[in-house]
Amino acid sequence: MSEWDKAKNDFEKGAKFIGPIFILLFVITLGRTSFYTVQPDEEAVIIRFGRYLGTSQPGLHFKLPLGVDEVTLVKTKRVLQQEFGFRTATTSKDRRTTYDQKNYDRESLMLTGDLNVADVEWVVQYQISDPFKYLFQTSTPERNIRDVSESIMRRVVGDRLVTDVLTTGRVEIASEAQKLMQDILDNYDLGVKIVTVKLQDVNPPDFVKKSFNEVNAAKQEQEKVINQAEESYNRVIPEARGKAEKLVSEAEGFAKAQVNRAEGDADKFLAILKEYKRAPRITRKRIYLETMSVILKKVDDITIVDDAVKGVLPVFSKGGVINGK
Amino acid sequence: MGNKSVVSIIVLVLIGILLKTTFFEINEGRQAIITQFGKPIGEPITDAGLHFKLPLVQKVQFVDKRILSWDGYPNQIPTKDKKYIKVDTTARWRVTDALKFIQTVRNETGAKARLDALLDSATRDVISNQNLVEAVRNSNGILDMIEERKKEIKELKANGEPVIEDEITGEIEKILEGREKLSNLIAESASKELSKFGIKLIDVQLRRISYEESVETKVYERMISERQRVAQKIRSIGQGEKAKIEGRLARDLREIKSEAYKKAEIVKGRGEAKATKIYAQALSQDPGFYEFTKTMDVYRNSLKESAKFLMSSDGDLFKYFKKSN
Repeated sequence: MSEWDKAKNDFEKGAKFIGPIFILLFVITLGRTSFYTVQPDEEAVIIRFGRYLGTSQPGLHFKLPLGVDEVTLVKTKRVLQQEFGFRTATTSKDRRTTYDQKNYDRESLMLTGDLNVADVEWVVQYQISDPFKYLFQTSTPERNIRDVSESIMRRVVGDRLVTDVLTTGRVEIASEAQKLMQDILDNYDLGVKIVTVKLQDVNPPDFVKKSFNEVNAAKQEQEKVINQAEESYNRVIPEARGKAEKLVSEAEGFAKAQVNRAEGDADKFLAILKEYKRAPRITRKRIYLETMSVILKKVDDITIVDDAVKGVLPVFSKGGVINGK
Repeated sequence: MGNKSVVSIIVLVLIGILLKTTFFEINEGRQAIITQFGKPIGEPITDAGLHFKLPLVQKVQFVDKRILSWDGYPNQIPTKDKKYIKVDTTARWRVTDALKFIQTVRNETGAKARLDALLDSATRDVISNQNLVEAVRNSNGILDMIEERKKEIKELKANGEPVIEDEITGEIEKILEGREKLSNLIAESASKELSKFGIKLIDVQLRRISYEESVETKVYERMISERQRVAQKIRSIGQGEKAKIEGRLARDLREIKSEAYKKAEIVKGRGEAKATKIYAQALSQDPGFYEFTKTMDVYRNSLKESAKFLMSSDGDLFKYFKKSN
């Protein structure tokens, strides 16, 4: 009995505190649920009794407490990204982003206008332009963006040749896809603005990649062969031109020399002739003798023969050998 | 603690229950129907916010008001031109008549079953009635592009530039409907049925169209052989260009060399002719003297030291050996 009383006593003592504790908790909850903070990259959608009340901008705001006003924060300033045909697997400070490409073939393989197959990977970057619409216009906004993007990318690629898709058409495809996507999403009134559509890796399917590379190799080879031929042309022809010019110049030099010599010789001849005519006999003799003297000095072995001395040959040899053994 | 406080607590709880069963919240993106003993009362309420009903006897059923997504199962469908493809469709829909919706399909799961059936068969009907290209391409722009490219190549060829023709492979036929129209056709044919369920189809998107696996391999093989053909062509164009350049080289080289020879010979001939003329003019004034002096020059310049010389003593030079006058 006394234990019961004791317990009762304790309980009554404690009960005195229960009231104030409840009040305190109530006040704290009231305070905590009356304010909310919107971060700089967010906007807040306020719902009162289930009804949209408004959107508030970054900063500290007041709301009705105790779950009357519900606040949903939406990252409206942030550019969000959807990836197709691959997924960014990890991003950390010291490791570069790695990409997981393995099991998304079905997402990236698509038919081109010439009924070939291309493997197109792309990203769609978007921003939430109207947070209320984004939250309440469709049940699955992200999935809608993905579905529309896949459908549109295939439509755009389907209107092009595989070679264009793989090479020159990239930019055009991306911008066309962006425009068409935006049109459809606007039709849903989704509250999303496509910032950009970018093609990433665009390849032929793995199975045929080798043969596409072969075409590229053939192009390289073609260029190489042509370049080599051009190179040898450029090496040979200018040299030949130079040589040709040299030949002509030499010929000109030769001709000039011929003429000059002729003129010199002629002048000399005429000059001598003029003097010769004054005393032809003696000049002739002089020239003859002078010539002979030069010859005789030069030549080692001269034999003089006399008609009168028959059989005994030679009479005299300049080399010092006397005939007559 | 008397009877008074017990009674007041009971009254408070009762008031709470009354309020709770009288007022109800409709969230944004939702609509509601009030039913009384299972019978719908009045029009569906589509405004979000606080609403009231009769307590206890009336109940509220909520239906989504947002755009909802439907994802089809990838179907294998043969096209009109007997090509087996897999078609993966998505659609967006919303409940426009909540009453009809609840009465006919009860909830979203029920709606999905109807959508599955209707959209699958509509897709099958539309796709199998068309050639494959109609589902791949959206316009005939590709044909214009090919036309334009052909023109460009022609022009380039006319200018004599080497053209790398990347051949258009695969079949490019004219399309009559196009991808977008096909998806509209699917949507149209399913819409009528769906409106009976209070459902409005917003759009159908052909998300993925791909070859069936066995066809895919064949397509890849075709792509490979086409690429190889293109590669071969590119190579042989390269060899052709090379041969052209080599031919040009040989031609130009011969031309340059022969031209140079011609010029050189002409120049030389002219020089020699001129020289001959000069000689002739001068020397013909006294041919005898010329002969004499030239002969003397020949003696002087042509005889070598090692020559053996036999001279007659009858000659002018040695006549004084015999006589002194």
